[in-house]
Amino acid sequence: MVDLSQIDKNQKAFIKTIHAQHSLKKRLQSLGLSAGQEVQVVETSLQKNTIKIALGFSSVALRLDEAKTVEVELAS
Amino acid sequence: MKKITIALVGQPNVGKSHLANAISGSNLKIGNFAGVTVEKATAKLRTDDYAIEFIDLPGLYSLEDFSADEKVTKEFLKKGDYDLIVNVLDSTNLERNLMLTTELLELNKKIVLALNMDDEAVKEGININAQNMSKILSVPCIRVSSKTKYNIETLVDTIIDVHEKALIPSKLIYGSEVEDQLQTIARFLEEKHFTIEGLSYRQIAVGLLWQKREIYAIVHEHPLYVELQPILNNALGHVYMYCQCDEIDEVIHRQHAAFAKGLCTEVLSVSKIKAQSVTQKIDAVLIHKFLGLPIFVFLMWALFQLTFTLGQFPMDWIESGFGWLGETLGETIDNEALKSLIVDGIIAGVGSVLMFLPNIIILFLGIALLETTGYMSRAAFLLDGFFHKFGLHGKSFVPLVTGFGCSVPAYMAARTLKNKKDRLLTMFIIGFMSCGARLPVYVLFAGAFFDESIAGNVLFAIYIFGAILGLIAAKILRVTAFKGEDEPFVMEMPKYRLPSLKLLWFMVYSKSVLYLKKAGTFILLASMLIWFISSYPKNDVIEEEYGAKIEALQATQETQATDKEALTAQKDDTAQAQETAPSDDKVASAEADKEAPVADPKESAEEGTSVEDQIAALENEKHEKIMEQTYLGMAGKAVEPFFAPLGFDWKMGVATLSGLAAKEVIVSTLGVLYALGDEVSEDDASLRDIIKENISFASAMAFIVFVMVYLPCLAATAVFYKEAESLKHTVLLVLFTFATAWVLAFITYRVLLLFA
Ligand SMILES: Nc1nc2c(ncn2[C@@H]2O[C@H](COP(=O)(O)OP(=O)(O)O)[C@@H](O)[C@H]2O)c(=O)[nH]1
Ligand SMILES: [Mg+2]
Repeated sequence: MVDLSQIDKNQKAFIKTIHAQHSLKKRLQSLGLSAGQEVQVVETSLQKNTIKIALGFSSVALRLDEAKTVEVELAS
Repeated sequence: MKKITIALVGQPNVGKSHLANAISGSNLKIGNFAGVTVEKATAKLRTDDYAIEFIDLPGLYSLEDFSADEKVTKEFLKKGDYDLIVNVLDSTNLERNLMLTTELLELNKKIVLALNMDDEAVKEGININAQNMSKILSVPCIRVSSKTKYNIETLVDTIIDVHEKALIPSKLIYGSEVEDQLQTIARFLEEKHFTIEGLSYRQIAVGLLWQKREIYAIVHEHPLYVELQPILNNALGHVYMYCQCDEIDEVIHRQHAAFAKGLCTEVLSVSKIKAQSVTQKIDAVLIHKFLGLPIFVFLMWALFQLTFTLGQFPMDWIESGFGWLGETLGETIDNEALKSLIVDGIIAGVGSVLMFLPNIIILFLGIALLETTGYMSRAAFLLDGFFHKFGLHGKSFVPLVTGFGCSVPAYMAARTLKNKKDRLLTMFIIGFMSCGARLPVYVLFAGAFFDESIAGNVLFAIYIFGAILGLIAAKILRVTAFKGEDEPFVMEMPKYRLPSLKLLWFMVYSKSVLYLKKAGTFILLASMLIWFISSYPKNDVIEEEYGAKIEALQATQETQATDKEALTAQKDDTAQAQETAPSDDKVASAEADKEAPVADPKESAEEGTSVEDQIAALENEKHEKIMEQTYLGMAGKAVEPFFAPLGFDWKMGVATLSGLAAKEVIVSTLGVLYALGDEVSEDDASLRDIIKENISFASAMAFIVFVMVYLPCLAATAVFYKEAESLKHTVLLVLFTFATAWVLAFITYRVLLLFA
């Protein structure tokens, strides 16, 4: 299983499932992280604690802990 | 005149506040960060027939209660008193914005969709067919731009139109399988004539299938429920099977997502693909791994430098202006008490606060820029890792920065934090971020004790030091009082947007007006009160006693002066005598000559100044004694033991206490107290010089530290209580801040004494 915390910067991927607990999952979904959505890690903080991802028309920042709950599939 | 109340609802940063502003021209607070609008702000507009009131609700991503400020909006939408919803959407991010719209449509209220940011959408080649969209949803959809005011009037007309007509149910269509099940349920309800007021059969069916509590509560009471239950179970089973998922929330989400996607393909066309490339490019620098933090620190440093250096010029003008005003007005007033009230009380007090208006304006402008450009969330991103180590959250950054302006909105801004413990912890720390009202104290003391060239840096250091103390305090509180799980960090990074000048003007203007109002009312009253309790009761005995002593001294001075005159007269005689003296006496008399002029005047000069000094000292002593006899003096004496270990004299002690009312009052109190004590040597010395003369360096630094940490003003504490909803925590806040302030000031004072 590959999750969002593992993919390289600028590597494109598609979201498969979100394994977060209920309220966090809802939040991620309403920020646009839904199954099938294309995502890309565009920026990481110094110690890679926090990452910025781009999806569609918006971008979202999250911690690595949260990124681990998002299962993705690398785009070929 | 009829009234229409409108709830402005939309995701954060879609321009709700800007829209309200564009429609009504009012000065709402606008920001580019999730949760900047934390109170329900209202704006008013009058048309020919209607008075329209807009309620600018905090932005929310969905009707799920994620954070406290989203709850405010949801509660209002469910229970609040309003006529229709204006759902504001960001046209450049339509699909995601529509997710909220689908939830709003299920509320069965009158609704109008405002497709905002049309100017930006057009530039990015995004075209939305609003007519088609209105038809599909059977809800009016209008393309608007708050920035260019495009279609604003049409929007207002549509609002009135929708308000006048009866509610037309919106057409939110789900997948065919779900629609089939809804029809089955609706048909059953219709056969049994089961109605709920204001809802159609289909709407009740939706409520039942989505397992909405409110609907269940009603249906469950009804005998019909026995028959209904198997039908519902069957329907749910079908839906779960169809969606291959057995969680109703997930099913709802997928249905909504599918609808939003479907609608977008119908109405949205993109002619050129240029997805937020500018924002990405700026972010590549501003939140760069290595550059990001230094840039952030530099920007903050620049802000404080500007605050000090740019603010300096108008500050000097204002100060000398008030000095002049005091003198000229003072001359025209005969009554001593009235003169003292106006010059030493009102003008000295209010003037010393107004003087800092330029600094305040610059600081607020800086914070407004942070908010509106979108940089605030970048700062949260940059600082999250660092904050996390201290048990704080990246999002804590917003309330903390707001705290540099004023603690009151900062406490409210803490609502964006979901977790109660994180929220309380952040609120405890807000006090360490020195608010704008403390700025005058710092500017005054930094100006008095440091060279002008480094005063700006000192100011920056004070703020940084406060912030670092806050972080340490956070860590301590985190491992003691607020143990608990971390809140997840997920945050939208909005696009960078150039705020319009008008918007900035509004934000800074409204805050400055507030500051002026405070100076004109509250601080005026406080100055008068401080003046009164520091002037009365008058003590004639002391005045007479010292009057007599001083007179006696003056008398001796006069006799000395006459002696001196006699001496010079004598000298003149000798000089004349010398001229006519025989030449063989010349050497001797020259020697005498040399001695006389050197020795005599020196001696007499020494005596003269010492008498003057004595008089000045007596005058000061007199003022001290008189002041000590006043109500304020008594209060000061009472608190003196508490402040003495920190090196504060009683005046500083009193100023500190008066600062509880509002931090600006500290400076006005010092202004009044030292102006009163300075009546005699009125050689237009500014407050800054007086402070420098009267307070030692160590005491001054201890004072700064104390002011930096101790309890925010009473108003802020009241808001804290309201937001925390806990008396225990409020008491804890009071004790915690006072204890910390005292201990730190004590350490500062003692350490500095060692070096001095
Ligand atoms: N280009 C453009 N910018 C806008 C428009 N409306 C708002 N903005 C900007 O978007 C940012 C967020 O607006 P704001 O009113 O704070 O959003 P809110 O969170 O929904 O209240 C601000 O910088 C506004 O200047 C618009 O119609 N066009
Ligand atoms: Mg707003």
